[in-house]
Amino acid sequence: MNSKQKLIKLLSLIIIFGVLITACGAPATQPPAATEAPATEAAATEAPATEAPAATEAPATEAPGKMFDGVTIDILTFVGPQVAEPLQRRGPDFTALTGAKVNIITVPNSELYQKILTDATSGTNAYDGYLFAPAWIVDFAPAGLIEDLTPYVQKDTALEWDDVAPFFRDFNSYGGKVYSIPLDGDMHMVYYRIDSLQEAGLEPPKTWDDYLAVAKALNGKDLNGDGEPDYGSCISKAPAQQSYWWIWSIAAPYIQSQGSSQGPFFNTKDMTPLVNNDGFKRALEVYKETGLYGPPDETNQGVGDTRGLFMAGRCALTMDWGDIGTLAIDKENSKVIDKTGAIENPGSTEVLDWDTGKLVPCDATTCPYAVDGVNHAPFASFGGWAGAVNAAVEQKQKDAAYAFFSYMAQPAQSNADVTVGTTGYNPFRISQFTNKQAWLDAGFSQAAADSYLGGIEASLNSPNMAADLRIPKNHEYIQVELDRILSEYIAGDLTTDEAAQQLYDSWETITEEAGRDAQLTFYKGTLGQK
Amino acid sequence: MRSWFQNKSINAPSPVGAVLSYLVLGFWALLILFPLYWLIITSFKISSQVAEGPFYIPFVDFKPSLDAWRYVLMGDLSRDTLRNFGNTLLVAPVSSLIALTLGATAAYALVRFEYHPRVGAIFTFIGCLILSIILISIGLPWQIALAVAGVIFIILLQTIGRRFKRALGNNDIAFWMISQRMLPPVAIVIPIYILFQRLHLLDTYTALIITYVTSNLPIVIWLMRDYISTIPIELEECASIDGASRYRIFWSVVLPLAVPGLVATFLFVLVFSWNEYLLALFISSARVQTLPLTIAAQNATRGPQWWNMSVLILIMIIPVIVIAIILERYITRGLLIGAVKG
Amino acid sequence: MDTTTTHEEQQPIQLHTIISGAADRLAGSVFILPAVLALLFLSLFPLIASLYVSLAKFDIAPGGFKLTFVGFRNYQKLFTGSEGTHFLGKFAPSTFLTWLVFGAVVIALAVFWARYLSSGKVSLGGVIGRVLLAFGLGSLTWMLVHTLWNGGRLGTASITLVYVFVGIFFQYILGLSLAMLTVQRLPGRRFFRVIFLLPMMITPVGVAYMFRMLTDTSKGPFTPIWQVLGLINFSWVNNAWGARTAILIGDIWQWTPFMFIVLVAALESQPVEPVEAATVDGANSWQIFRYITWPAILPVSMTLVLIRLIEAFKIVDLPNVMTNGGPGTATQSLTYHAYINWRALNIGGSAAVAYMLLILVTFFSMIFVNLIRQRTVETL
Repeated sequence: MNSKQKLIKLLSLIIIFGVLITACGAPATQPPAATEAPATEAAATEAPATEAPAATEAPATEAPGKMFDGVTIDILTFVGPQVAEPLQRRGPDFTALTGAKVNIITVPNSELYQKILTDATSGTNAYDGYLFAPAWIVDFAPAGLIEDLTPYVQKDTALEWDDVAPFFRDFNSYGGKVYSIPLDGDMHMVYYRIDSLQEAGLEPPKTWDDYLAVAKALNGKDLNGDGEPDYGSCISKAPAQQSYWWIWSIAAPYIQSQGSSQGPFFNTKDMTPLVNNDGFKRALEVYKETGLYGPPDETNQGVGDTRGLFMAGRCALTMDWGDIGTLAIDKENSKVIDKTGAIENPGSTEVLDWDTGKLVPCDATTCPYAVDGVNHAPFASFGGWAGAVNAAVEQKQKDAAYAFFSYMAQPAQSNADVTVGTTGYNPFRISQFTNKQAWLDAGFSQAAADSYLGGIEASLNSPNMAADLRIPKNHEYIQVELDRILSEYIAGDLTTDEAAQQLYDSWETITEEAGRDAQLTFYKGTLGQK
Repeated sequence: MRSWFQNKSINAPSPVGAVLSYLVLGFWALLILFPLYWLIITSFKISSQVAEGPFYIPFVDFKPSLDAWRYVLMGDLSRDTLRNFGNTLLVAPVSSLIALTLGATAAYALVRFEYHPRVGAIFTFIGCLILSIILISIGLPWQIALAVAGVIFIILLQTIGRRFKRALGNNDIAFWMISQRMLPPVAIVIPIYILFQRLHLLDTYTALIITYVTSNLPIVIWLMRDYISTIPIELEECASIDGASRYRIFWSVVLPLAVPGLVATFLFVLVFSWNEYLLALFISSARVQTLPLTIAAQNATRGPQWWNMSVLILIMIIPVIVIAIILERYITRGLLIGAVKG
Repeated sequence: MDTTTTHEEQQPIQLHTIISGAADRLAGSVFILPAVLALLFLSLFPLIASLYVSLAKFDIAPGGFKLTFVGFRNYQKLFTGSEGTHFLGKFAPSTFLTWLVFGAVVIALAVFWARYLSSGKVSLGGVIGRVLLAFGLGSLTWMLVHTLWNGGRLGTASITLVYVFVGIFFQYILGLSLAMLTVQRLPGRRFFRVIFLLPMMITPVGVAYMFRMLTDTSKGPFTPIWQVLGLINFSWVNNAWGARTAILIGDIWQWTPFMFIVLVAALESQPVEPVEAATVDGANSWQIFRYITWPAILPVSMTLVLIRLIEAFKIVDLPNVMTNGGPGTATQSLTYHAYINWRALNIGGSAAVAYMLLILVTFFSMIFVNLIRQRTVETL
């Protein structure tokens, strides 16, 4: 009985203790944005300017009368180290400069969109800024949930907005207004093992047919000297991962040849999807065929897995964003230092005739931007992580949040961050391509830097670059319907024709639901067409 | 020879039986321990050691490193880890104890008392609840809305409610309670989010605890119902004759006998709230995030960070194991019940 | 004995008994109301709200969001619309085998009906219940026989049913066997008991990642075994049933402890006398189990299976993490289906799937509860 009484006392203590804590916790639970924010000031325009001299020096310098003393901003992003780590690392520096305290709140990557959406649409507004995907602008901006940053940017000289590559300036804008500040630039590229290809006497692939040929030749060979056979090509194919981006990297050169404003997704006359044609079907077949030369469980791998395989030296070819370039020079984790080459995405010698739906060979009229007879259409998938400001918080909060993103994007910080693989930031400023010194300092060899940056630059400067889809419901088009049909196709549940037809039908359903004319206007707007 | 196959006593198996038992038990234990072993050694690996293929024995196969442990406990992730760990440590036991208390009493009530809620009354109640929700959504202050709904409820109860004589029984109440667990969390996340937001309880311990209590209450009730129903009513009748009130009977007679059931149920509910992910994701934002969120978040765009994940999973299991070891002896006390009877 | 008590002595006694009497009468409410109120508070609103959402379309709009009422369109999409093959599966043409199985089920239901109608205790509620039962079981059988073989493909509803019933079957058998073994007075059994509890204590997300690591055919610990077996280039992720098996293994591994611990507690609560008496009478272990132990643990077992049934229908972490629902949609459970809709902002569709899940779970739970009721009535 005695021990029972003791147990009961212990339990009651725990309950009382717990209730007390929660009771004490309850009053202090107003969303931070509502309780902070002293009286608004019109000092927003001064904030970036006062940082300009300070940003390039050590954090010890102080601007007189710190701009955002007493202000705390909550920035939401996903758990790092990629993308979040630089924010967390540079937060204290920003505080020293401006007095604003920065809280980085992180949630799992897959939940970020929902969390932002729920927070904003329900009026909770617990966050002052988000580091998110610019493609989401089309959902948030028309609803007035994120702040129009054009006035801030125009007055912000420290940001050096013109140094940001034109493509990324456009991608972070909508309807002519800037809605987010890029901290990262995203572009698909193909990476290859310089040594393996040289040994086999192969050239880096220029077309997707070349890619398949190289992959086939090198598949099964031992590429990293451990005695185990390795793989010719590693491109992830797991559902709900990145397959819906890879497919467009492959399909874009088959479908788009007349320049960036043509667009690869929809027919700009009537908004019908450009998927039930020979070009897209060929791309589907190519994508599926790369699986023959890859790891057996490629259909369950995401880009993180394939990256790891490439870094361990087990892949001859892979497709990825800019991360492999910076990760490959990691002395501890990479087995492919100085063996990694990067090229612009392979193209095609045949392109789609939009009227007939058939593939026609490349010539001066069908492929005006062809290089050596090959039509390239580098796909700027995803667009890069960018910072946006919640439109519903107090002015002071907005100013502070903007100032923080601007600080992160300014050359002094950004140029250092993009050279480090673990930050997850890839280059997006013109100066980051032209000034190779920072890269050499970070550990790139001259050859590696030239190859890597050359690949990205070639893609960015291409007049036929394809931008990611940015119309309303792009989630449903791409990440629900395309993803599902693609995974069924890869699994063999659908034939190529069935997959193309089903995709066409489901995209048409979404377009009908959203309003065909409205979607067409949006789509043409993102392409810069009227 | 025969003695090898004869049971030594009622509960002890024969030698052959013992050997067979050990084989089976040992095999299953191996099945459980091997994945955990793998988890432990993965927590000592770095990225390249995972990507290159399986390495089994530290110091022999691969060089173990404390990188992951350092990162999670002392490095960049430590702020998140320690804070979330503390949150989980607070929210799970407290909500489990509250659920246990409320649930055990309700379970006892469902076994010993007879309820006959009338169908008419129930529907009127639900109708008025819907009415109050609608009134609140169109902007009426909640006090007025509730008052209006309450008045209408009472009026209807007296009139229409009387007409429907059909009544439900205990089993229906119990079924209703367990049916609360049927709707997947993904469907109720946003309504709950909005509910707590209106009450200004988002990102608080209170919200998490309330949510977990109501989520786990049905399980407590259903499990305790069965345990309590095995307790012979004669003991309670004796106590009642001796003049004890129902509360006293519950406290002094029923609860002690139900201890094994209480302990097992507490363990479950603790585990459920300890490990819950989706609701915690949405109710918390900066302050009260729990550890399962940190684990899920290790699936970065770079790919799952297996080593960090392993460390986090191990940290999460340890307190629960400790509690399980401590409480396991209470389950064995159940053997005494049989001895008491008779 | 002096039976007369003074008036003063009577009053305090009366007051005391009045209060305790009233308190005792209220005990019924006092005991159950807190739980009922707690459940009502947090359960009713989400239930009704998500029902409404399932009948509406969610859009982001200036100032927040808007819900447009669309009637049953979300549900229609699930059955006959664009989500039909996703939800119900791809139906193969009927063959002799499908008719055979379906016919067998129909006949069983007809017999069931005949027995009921001839039992003489027919009531309106009973008839309605049995109609629903027949309709439900019939359509589920139809769906399963047409999607399980012969080129058909399982939809998320069928996949969930597979996970639930196969999983629970193995979990129960394993849990019971292990419980019975550990109840014996073996030295070291406490060690086993604690170990066996471990899998349940790992957070489901953690278990999912752990199994993903373990089943990786190129980096996981079993790679040498696959190599020896010549399976190195085969990956279970490419095969629908292989993937489902992997998930089932993970599920069984994780939840057998749940069955185990409850059954241990139940077995240990058994009084020893009947067993002693039976042994003295010369019964062997099988007879003891069949006639004494099994009926005694049956009520607890049924509760246990019911609880686990309700939980099992909500499986989502394992398919999500281990295979992302692949290959194709082969491992997607209903909750996963709702989850991906929800992530894509199709919140109305997500709520519709969730409600279909609710209907499915309620259907099976009611069958089960009625079974429990019959059993407990019989054993009385």
